[in-house]
Amino acid sequence: MSSRLTTQSTEWIQRDKPFSFSYEGQQVTAFEGDTISSALWANGIKVLGRSFKYHRARGILTLANHDVNALMTDGIDTNIRADVWPVQADMQLTAVNTTGGVIKDRSQFIDKISPLLPVGFYYKAFHTPRRFFPFWEDKIRKAAGLGEVNFNYPRIPKPKQHAHCDVLIIGAGIAGLSAAISVAEQGLSVIIVDENAKAGGSLTYDMATDSVSQLTTLLSAVESYSKIRLITNAYAAGYYADHLVPIVETTGITKVRAKALIVASGAFEQPPVFRNNDLPGVMMGSAAQRLIYRYAVKPFDKGVVVTANDYGYRTALDLLAAGVDVLAVIDMRREGSSSPLVTELKSKQVAVHKASCVYEVIASKQKLGVSEVVICPYDELMAEADTKNKIRLKCDGVAMSAGWAPAAALLYQAGTKMRFDNTVQQFVPAELPEGVFAAGKVNGIFELDQRQLDGQRAAAEALNYLGKSVATVEVKQHQGISPSHAYPVVNHPKGKNFVDFDEDIQVKDFINAAKEGFDNIELMKRFTTVGMGPSQGKHSNMNAIRILARIRDLPVEKIGTTTARPFFHPTPIGHLGGRGFHPHRYTAIHEWHIENGGIMTAAGLWMRPSYYLPAGSQLTAQQAMQQEAMAVRTKAGMIDNSTLGKIEVYGPDAAAFLERVYTGKFAKQKVGQYRIAMLLDEAGVMVDDGLACRLAEDRFYLTTSTTNSAMVYRQLQREVQISGLSVSLANLTGVKAAMTIAGPASADILSQLTTVDLSANAFPTGSVVETKVADVECLLLRVAFVAEQAFEIHLPAAAGLYVWNQLMQAGALFGLMAYGTDAQRLLRLEMGHHLIGHDTDGLTNPFEAHAEPLIAMDKAFFTGQRSLKIIAKKPLNKTLVNFVLDSDFAGDLPNECNLVIDNGDIAGRITSIAYSPYLKRVIGIAFVPPEKRQTGSRFEIRNDAGDLIAATVIQSPTELAKSA
Amino acid sequence: MKLLQCPVNGIRPLSEFSYGGEFRTMPDPDSCTDQQWAAYVHYRSGAPGYKKEWWYHMPSGTWFIAERNTITDKVSRTYLFPKREVAV
Amino acid sequence: MPLRLLKYAISREHPAPRFFRDCVEPKKTYDVVIIGGGGHGLAAAYYLAKDYGITNVAVLEKGYIGGGNTGRNTTIIRSNYLTPEGVKFYDASVKIYEGLSEELDLNLFYSNRGHFTLAHTESAMRTMRWRAEVNKHVGVESYVVGPEEISKACPQLDISCSGQAPILGALYHAPGSVARHDGVAWGYARGADQLGVEIFQNTEVTRIDVKGGKVCGVQTNNGYISTNKVLSAVAGFTPRITQMVDLQTPIVIHPLQACVTEPMKPWLDTILVSGSLHVYVSQSSRGELVMGSSLDPYEMHSTRSSLDFVEGLTSHITDMFPFLSNVKVVRQWAGMADLTPDFAPIMGKTPIEGFYLDAGWGTWGFKATPISGKTMAETIAKDMAPDLIKSFRLSRFEDYELTGEKGAASVGH
Repeated sequence: MSSRLTTQSTEWIQRDKPFSFSYEGQQVTAFEGDTISSALWANGIKVLGRSFKYHRARGILTLANHDVNALMTDGIDTNIRADVWPVQADMQLTAVNTTGGVIKDRSQFIDKISPLLPVGFYYKAFHTPRRFFPFWEDKIRKAAGLGEVNFNYPRIPKPKQHAHCDVLIIGAGIAGLSAAISVAEQGLSVIIVDENAKAGGSLTYDMATDSVSQLTTLLSAVESYSKIRLITNAYAAGYYADHLVPIVETTGITKVRAKALIVASGAFEQPPVFRNNDLPGVMMGSAAQRLIYRYAVKPFDKGVVVTANDYGYRTALDLLAAGVDVLAVIDMRREGSSSPLVTELKSKQVAVHKASCVYEVIASKQKLGVSEVVICPYDELMAEADTKNKIRLKCDGVAMSAGWAPAAALLYQAGTKMRFDNTVQQFVPAELPEGVFAAGKVNGIFELDQRQLDGQRAAAEALNYLGKSVATVEVKQHQGISPSHAYPVVNHPKGKNFVDFDEDIQVKDFINAAKEGFDNIELMKRFTTVGMGPSQGKHSNMNAIRILARIRDLPVEKIGTTTARPFFHPTPIGHLGGRGFHPHRYTAIHEWHIENGGIMTAAGLWMRPSYYLPAGSQLTAQQAMQQEAMAVRTKAGMIDNSTLGKIEVYGPDAAAFLERVYTGKFAKQKVGQYRIAMLLDEAGVMVDDGLACRLAEDRFYLTTSTTNSAMVYRQLQREVQISGLSVSLANLTGVKAAMTIAGPASADILSQLTTVDLSANAFPTGSVVETKVADVECLLLRVAFVAEQAFEIHLPAAAGLYVWNQLMQAGALFGLMAYGTDAQRLLRLEMGHHLIGHDTDGLTNPFEAHAEPLIAMDKAFFTGQRSLKIIAKKPLNKTLVNFVLDSDFAGDLPNECNLVIDNGDIAGRITSIAYSPYLKRVIGIAFVPPEKRQTGSRFEIRNDAGDLIAATVIQSPTELAKSA
Repeated sequence: MKLLQCPVNGIRPLSEFSYGGEFRTMPDPDSCTDQQWAAYVHYRSGAPGYKKEWWYHMPSGTWFIAERNTITDKVSRTYLFPKREVAV
Repeated sequence: MPLRLLKYAISREHPAPRFFRDCVEPKKTYDVVIIGGGGHGLAAAYYLAKDYGITNVAVLEKGYIGGGNTGRNTTIIRSNYLTPEGVKFYDASVKIYEGLSEELDLNLFYSNRGHFTLAHTESAMRTMRWRAEVNKHVGVESYVVGPEEISKACPQLDISCSGQAPILGALYHAPGSVARHDGVAWGYARGADQLGVEIFQNTEVTRIDVKGGKVCGVQTNNGYISTNKVLSAVAGFTPRITQMVDLQTPIVIHPLQACVTEPMKPWLDTILVSGSLHVYVSQSSRGELVMGSSLDPYEMHSTRSSLDFVEGLTSHITDMFPFLSNVKVVRQWAGMADLTPDFAPIMGKTPIEGFYLDAGWGTWGFKATPISGKTMAETIAKDMAPDLIKSFRLSRFEDYELTGEKGAASVGH
């Protein structure tokens, strides 16, 4: 049975593009331009979904993107909003949240037992006895939820666009379009967005005046301005600081930064509340109009209009024109309407009942639609129906026009103070934030010509705000009868008079919630869940406020509103997440690592090789690491250290600056020497360490750890400003490559490429020289971090790979191997060195790490010094020691962070541990109680299995090597 | 995203900045008591209002002071520390 | 269907009484005034009355009860902390939570889901082991698991995180649970009210009077109250209250944001946290994914939402669950989190006699609600903090004795 009307001049469908799709297994025809709901309705299908809680049949309510009971799945996607989603050929749709199909849904029994489910029922039962709760929880969780999520849904990266404009206008109705034209006339740029497929707002469905030609005029004006960008099918998802508004389209998000914002987002039509106002066939007047004028679909065959404003009369005429048998217009207002439309309707044999209400709608047999409406006289002040005088009319549809609620979400989010205006019975802006303006229905302006003017007024204000000088525009505030009814609620002893269709909340739920003490709007919202469904209260919040006001006997403005938060419509995770950038930094030698089997791991932003597994290698990770470490001990190894932070400090106060920032002394440091530079925070906690190389009286070259390089540089920069010293910094971290060649053969290899005398006497540990390696200008240091003999080379990044290759070539005969960070960790452990941030934590002070030699307490000042003076007076709580497991230790190695146990209590923890193939012993670093710090002290480690493993404190593993 | 005025680079999005905490004056470490020093290190004036804060423009490495209302998040002015003119 | 609900079906009048009285005007004097009608303040009132018979108590709430961080948090309850004192404290909280629905006769939907803290790096794995070892030592069921066990509990999780941050393992914490946050506040409010405590909503403290180092009264927008004992349990408003008594604390306020998706049928049974990706997620009993991320990077006393937060969070959640691309976020919000330098709360007495502090919850403090109520009630009743919260004393900062939770945070990721 087709409900498709003959061609409407305003329709959005393309009749030359028909196709079919399926719904709940049934083949259905549609036209390009239909939404899922309009196509189904055109085919006489009116049960579009089941409600969240009671599983009641639901149809079209608004056709304005808050029909959240008509959610579909196509097997790929879920919770598709049928009322606005464009239907596509061959879609295979079913309603979500049903058991056994939308018609036969086996969960509909819940509607019958609804008295057992009072408001907040889930707080009141299922929890005693405690052991049964998991059973009930499982049932409740399965019953809740809407669609099933598809675990195979592909991740589709949605790139984000950025746009800038002078004025962003939300809503392309008459107010928004007029505003856009006024702004563009002054030469400023405009972006105007509308969530509908076409611009025009109510001009596309409310035919009260000559809407079609008005719209044509406006749109051609808009088109004539190149500075207006009109985006349809796009909604403004939220308002964020400094006029940032994400505009959501199916293709992705455009983040619009505007200098000013005009909100002309209109108003949502609100349902009157009466029994069974949710049955399929009962819909908003504006939904009926949208069906007729946008999609050429007859809303129902025979029905009534219930209204509390003059929009209902217009709707009745529209229904008549669409061939609907309109039995009556029921006006809830005591005085009815004085509109000429009343006479027109009466002349067309439509009965008009004033001071009446729809008392209830009688459901058809399977509760799948409307069979009858019951009309009673209505006392609008008392909100009581006189049930002694019932009129019953057989019909299949009801159109409802009880009033409007402003689409003010963005205004609220921007910080607008709203007030309740009794002349329009709605919240209107009272105080707008800077650069934000409102126009049209959202501003409480309802007459069409005044809305146009209001758009121009808002534009003028925005223009003046932006520094133009334009004449202000006068707008007539609303006069006479309010477009919204003050209390469109009809009580019914049997209830099912719904306020919130998302969450199945009826009038009595509010009354009962208030009885239980939830009688302010926020508590009521939380207890009843009104407005917490996917439509976020678009059709329910206003009635909830009115009902609460009446319960409390307070004016509506005393009740206030709940907070509006993003998003205006639910917004896909993929849109918000965008492409998901994961930046990484590669060193100059990265290519070599990859070619040679480097297993790369992130170290902060950098990628570094943990170890190398060349093609064809049969080694395990552990073996590969040990082989690399052994090469360093016995021959030579080389590591890419380019990720170290590298900072040049220069200026007459360079040394004074380092003395102020770092714990050590640098003033008398000789050119050609480096010293360890340890950084503390103000509380005296160890933060970082590196080397400070003095290259000239007024020039130092500093290194920092890889992970802290950005933080240290940033901190030093601030210290430069605070100290006022004459010093400058240059961050060379990315500019320079660095590598360390270590091991007994390292000097022999390196000496092939440099003229520096590398002997320990001529170039001892602690030396640094600016020289050339492989003819490349570089900085050469003799270091002893991973091996007794090692050389660190810092050079321009561009030459990094070249010099690396030259050294590799020179070292080939000596057995030089590249080693990764895993081997480095073992090597430094064999040398007995702790790593800040690995062996220390966010509370470790230098006394606990035996770093006293690095601290010059006798200096005038350094960061952290004053705190150390306080800490020094306190007893030491814990201390870092090197340890070794017994030589006969066998079994699984304890892990880092296994605890040190003393008399059954936690006494410390292992911070590093490894088997050293060179020493053939398990060595490590641990926090132990201070009394255990002496060499030879024994302590116990509890491993994962819970066994206690004995360990001995040693001075340094290097001692073991000597004694071995 | 918020916009912030870097005294050197002009108005830039907040993602380019890093917060450096409240601008605080260090007590004289030599004359202050341990308790005063501990309070300086650990305590903060957490109450809301206009505050002088350190901010850092990351791409250019610029530290500056912003005077910001910590309730409204409005920045009344920004300038380099110590206050000095920037050559254009 | 439980029989308890039958009475609603057969009664003509809704048979449930008010949860708590509609107190309008405070008396002139109370034994204890509690500032803040969130979970913590209400729980403290409840235990003062129940455990110590101190019922002449007023709870003053500037808005509506449970409207602050109690109603904004992501409802995760766990005790897998790093320090023994932290683990013991939160474990005591978990223990009370487990029986709280019965005690308060209100279904709090206390749902034991198990909690995985995912580790994407070797250093995160070390921290997980550290926490597991301390937890085990104190008798809390936490242990390190590998990717296979994570997959078993949550087969939908992409262990490689879209190749961006492969998961190496996790700290599994068996007691990890979620509960209905509003219910906790309402249940304590009802319990306290029934024992005689008076709860005043829309009542804001504007001044606290201290004479000779002792608290003597509070001025409110609803009259003056004299009292010798005041508990501040106001989370994000702590600095405003401590300013009234000239008390210095380390607390700074940063917003903490969260968001929820549309409801969907249950699929995520566990609670997942990723430190590296800055994501925590669970599925509520209504079917929504409740998600949060790290704290906002700078101080602010406001509950505004930011787009950066939700962009970052959604980007990372799709690394973990690529199929969520078209699931929609319905709502985002923020709370004001009160932070301390060592990520542990500040609880107990203060240098001002009769002024007690319950603050520094960092991430909203929901999981500590029962135990903070109980221990603060004891502190007020005996004017002495119980051992369980001694390490959370305010003076630890002057003493350079910060709690060890700071240790993990700096080596965590």
